[in-house]
Amino acid sequence: MNKINLVISSTYAAIISSTFVVIITIYAELSPALKDWLKSISGHHWTTKSIFTALIFALALIALYSFRKNGSDRTKQSLVLLLAFVLVGSIAITAFYTGHHFKIW
Amino acid sequence: MDIISLLQSKPVLIGLHLGFAIIGIDLFFWLLGKFKDRIGSVKNRVTIAGIGTLALISSWIAGGYYYVVYYGSLVKPIIKEGVAPWAHNIVMEAKEHIFLFVIPMAVVVFFIALMNDEEIDRSGIRKMAVWLSGTVAVLGLLIGAMGFIISAAARWGALQ
Repeated sequence: MNKINLVISSTYAAIISSTFVVIITIYAELSPALKDWLKSISGHHWTTKSIFTALIFALALIALYSFRKNGSDRTKQSLVLLLAFVLVGSIAITAFYTGHHFKIW
Repeated sequence: MDIISLLQSKPVLIGLHLGFAIIGIDLFFWLLGKFKDRIGSVKNRVTIAGIGTLALISSWIAGGYYYVVYYGSLVKPIIKEGVAPWAHNIVMEAKEHIFLFVIPMAVVVFFIALMNDEEIDRSGIRKMAVWLSGTVAVLGLLIGAMGFIISAAARWGALQ
């Protein structure tokens, strides 16, 4: 087991799954058809988003870990990127729902 | 009442959601200190990160079950018709989606905990390990504060 590869792969998998959460959340609010489709899969749109997020994270982690070559050590940069994505994603989701509530969009 | 019915009841679900979250938050704060001050063995840090991650996953499942089964039909209408409909439209919507960032981040911290001090320092990620552990814990606290606002809005909505 290559621990550095595991950390980098899980970090990029977390970035991918977090990006998915932001995009699917905002897009589903703007597209009732997409929200209905998400609901039709599990009975609730949030449950489907949760399942998809977990699956995307797990699959991305396995794929990145399997195909990633050893050597280049960009662990620190990937972790900084993850923190930035989570911060921006949290602000984006909160700002979107604030604007949605006040009917800005 | 059998044990399954008890676990599926509303107060117990809320208690499990909050209780597991508090365990997860505390453990990730503890881990932050371990990373920062180079305290504890790999086994010790992996145990803390592992239990912390499992606690957050358990909080996700308990809270998610309550949200899907009870919140939408019983609590949401009270908030929406009460004095603070924004508590659902902004706070709850943000809470339920920001939560989805936390588990993958916790798993990343768990994998960092597999590394010994020499490996962490060689990779230059000690500061980031501290930041990431802290972010998991602080996001957990913020989500807890959001839950408090939502509960208060439901109480005031019901009293109206």
